[in-house]
Amino acid sequence: MSTGARTVTAPGRSGVVGARVPRVDGKEKVTGEAAYAADIALPRVLVGKVLRSPYPHARLLRVDTSKARRVPGVKAVITAEDTPKIPHGLFVKDTYPLALERVRYVGDEVAAVAAAIEEAASEALELIEVEYEELPAVFDPLEAMAPGAPQLHADRPGNIAYQLSVERGDVEAGFRQAAHVIEERFTTHATYHAYLEPIASVVSYGHTGKLTVWASAQEPFMTQAELAEALHLPPSDIHFIQPHVGGAFGGKTMDDNHLYISCLLALKTRAAVKLVNTREDEFVASRPRVPTVIDLKVGFAGDGAIVAKEARVVSDNGAYTSRTPVIMRTTCIRADSLYRLQNLRTHGYLVYTNKIPTGSMRGFGNPQMHFALESVMDMAARELGMDPLALRLRNATQAGDVTVHGWRVASCGLSECLERTAAEVGWRGARPAPGASGTKRRGVGLACATHVSGRRHFGNYDGSSALVKVNEDGRVVVLSGEGDVGQGSRTIFAQIAAEELGVPYEDVDVTMADTESTPFGMGSHASKVTFVGGNAVRVAAADARRQLLEITARLFEARAEDLAIQDGRIFHRELPQRALTVAEAAKAHIYRQGGEPVIGKGAWDPPSELHDKTFYGNISGAYPFGACAAEVEVDVESGEVKVLRIVSAADVGRAINPMLAEGQIEGGVIQGLGYALCEEIRNEEGRVLNPNFSDYRIMACEDIPVEVKAILVEPVDPYGPFGAKGLGELVVAPVAPAVANAVAHAVGARITSLPITAEKLFTALRRPQASRPATPNR
Amino acid sequence: MSPRQKRQLSLEVNGEPYELLVEPHWLLVDVLRDQLHLTGTKIGCGIGVCGACTVLVDGQAVSSCLALAVDAHGKAVTTIEGLAREGRLHPIQQAFIACGGFQCGFCTPGMIMGAKELLDRNPAPTEEEIRAGLSGNLCRCTGYVKIIESVQVAVRLLQEEMAGEAGAPVSPGPGRHAAVGSGQGGAR
Repeated sequence: MSTGARTVTAPGRSGVVGARVPRVDGKEKVTGEAAYAADIALPRVLVGKVLRSPYPHARLLRVDTSKARRVPGVKAVITAEDTPKIPHGLFVKDTYPLALERVRYVGDEVAAVAAAIEEAASEALELIEVEYEELPAVFDPLEAMAPGAPQLHADRPGNIAYQLSVERGDVEAGFRQAAHVIEERFTTHATYHAYLEPIASVVSYGHTGKLTVWASAQEPFMTQAELAEALHLPPSDIHFIQPHVGGAFGGKTMDDNHLYISCLLALKTRAAVKLVNTREDEFVASRPRVPTVIDLKVGFAGDGAIVAKEARVVSDNGAYTSRTPVIMRTTCIRADSLYRLQNLRTHGYLVYTNKIPTGSMRGFGNPQMHFALESVMDMAARELGMDPLALRLRNATQAGDVTVHGWRVASCGLSECLERTAAEVGWRGARPAPGASGTKRRGVGLACATHVSGRRHFGNYDGSSALVKVNEDGRVVVLSGEGDVGQGSRTIFAQIAAEELGVPYEDVDVTMADTESTPFGMGSHASKVTFVGGNAVRVAAADARRQLLEITARLFEARAEDLAIQDGRIFHRELPQRALTVAEAAKAHIYRQGGEPVIGKGAWDPPSELHDKTFYGNISGAYPFGACAAEVEVDVESGEVKVLRIVSAADVGRAINPMLAEGQIEGGVIQGLGYALCEEIRNEEGRVLNPNFSDYRIMACEDIPVEVKAILVEPVDPYGPFGAKGLGELVVAPVAPAVANAVAHAVGARITSLPITAEKLFTALRRPQASRPATPNR
Repeated sequence: MSPRQKRQLSLEVNGEPYELLVEPHWLLVDVLRDQLHLTGTKIGCGIGVCGACTVLVDGQAVSSCLALAVDAHGKAVTTIEGLAREGRLHPIQQAFIACGGFQCGFCTPGMIMGAKELLDRNPAPTEEEIRAGLSGNLCRCTGYVKIIESVQVAVRLLQEEMAGEAGAPVSPGPGRHAAVGSGQGGAR
């Protein structure tokens, strides 16, 4: 560990950017003081509970709540009939808060109860009588696309929720140039976010006519807007206050029905209602990662250059549409900018099935295609007789490139990430030979990835805003509506404000997000909070600094440009003894005739653009790149894979706080290993078979590799706040293909279906030799 | 609903004696959270797998989401709220702050209580023993790397404290957000 001390880089700076300072929320989190949604205590709060469909597809013939309403202590029992019947959904409005006429998956919300005590709510739930008429159901997206399949939504024929085609260059000509063509089908599976805090909300409604909402939501203002629309309320009648949030990873975008239902219960009862998901609710009715079937064909010239790529993507939407159209678009498009390719064609189909609706999970569709593409890169390297690292370096996107989809890549550490991760697992000019001892085989593999730092999408806006308030005692308060779901954005904002303003880090507080007091922010998504929100904070802090300098200039009868701020002291550059503290300046500004407070205001919208009709455009202000290398040991008798060592390098632009950046990498890598090896929501006829933490295993402390190494690559992005780019999602994407490539290196078997279970590998190892590579790759 | 007979429950929580009336089926976690308003103890899974509800009962780590409150009769319960003394954080808490051994913080109270029991039992665990000892506490944010490091630093801090070097600064140094200093945010 290093200390917070760091040399001051420029006058007016505090030197705290780049330092491993402790988080602003540390003390409350290690003492149990930090309040999460379920910890919010209000007097006379009612307990909410939800009745779910036991059928994957059925008509609702009758829902009788009369007996349930008579249970003592029950204040409300609601069905779709008690709601405005306005469907929600950011892109396709097909989700009713409570099922209207039909249920489409096991877990679909049918009715909800609010009662004075939990026992009454449970009893009422059991007394709701529902008569279902079962309908034929379909669970496999390929079957759902076929003629004659049961149809989920009348206005979406063929069960197609959304489809897209994208084409660049000349794909046929590209394949004609190819010396080698790799063609393979890859499948990826549903995984669950598994944040430790289940979704929870406390909603209060009374005579003010306002709904006050405390919920574990990751996008305060977007949640407010979406609730307002579906509840038919003016947005300002919804006061959203973000408590501490116990992890989100895309799962707390509130695309599911939880928060709509707690608000409806509060509106109906004109009281306060608390609704807390059980872990089973989470597994059956949240919005897990989108499973995909990816047919991928890539052509390579003899020297390794990628000459053409063709893909067909089928994404499993589940029963309703969350953000999946754009998630599928990400699967179809984003990985293309990893390499300098020119000719491509992709078709994507988002298909309804009678399963849990899927949604955004750390990577937003990106890990799926990276698994396919980065597996193909290793398969191609083998055919070409090239080193997999060299093949990637041959094609890697570089700073200054405009990629095939129009990304303008201002900073890019991709090659450095590749070289450094490879070196860590023993690449010395070439990949080390696989090892063997007894029944164990060892191999190493790598993969790389790219992502975004924000993505222009919503009404041609992808910006953020902030206020930086300088109090009369010199302490500084940052107000931002971006919020913090655990990743540490409040700490990052404090560092950025301290640095820009020239005050000690300890003097900066950052409020929690609150739609009535913090300025507008889009919230935690698309790895944008540091990049976009951080820039807004920086602009606001610069505005506050300008005000402090002007105040002091008037007091000193000097010119503002001759003054500087450092460590909370404002001084004359030529006459350093002429100085006062930030507190003195702020106080002097208030306590005078016509005085006013020092409040810096900042807004920042990245230099990105909306894509055109063909999805071409510079969609993000900065693009992070990364690479991951794994060393695995495979037991050829059982097919079991053990990851001995995992290394992840991320081009973060610049790490505002290396301790937090490493934490993002380490956490993302372990989530990626879960995706690669052991996590899977298993279904049978639409029923989730493993809806709890004993049957759905996320990695525990003893399961992680003995060596997990995070490497920060810092090319300094020209648009990032102090050079920083997005990070959170990037690091998940290359993990699964790195492991698959290491497994193929160790034993010669190529697993194309995630997760890489012992069963799959055991079977693959016993396939006739002809159908799998005869010898390990190199 | 038929009224149920409540039972007298006498227990000590974080050194304070309590006399409570509880129903026989009430869980310890619910009594801690809802009756005593000690919401630092979290409910993560409800089936004793994730460890977020870990508290110490007579020094033993217990999943309070599986324990009946009445079974704590006559016992001493320590929750996360009971670790800091007179505004001074416990060395394990200091170490988690200094090393960044948490992100969202939801698993943290249970994780720290698990670490407390581990270090009470084994004051100088190897890395392997730390990994095994904390495997009943799930974390989804950190990937455990900085949690393991936190426990290793806590071992050192506890040893220093034993050797009478209490108050030696843990890097990063003092400040309102730093590990050392008063809980009320002095040390400015």
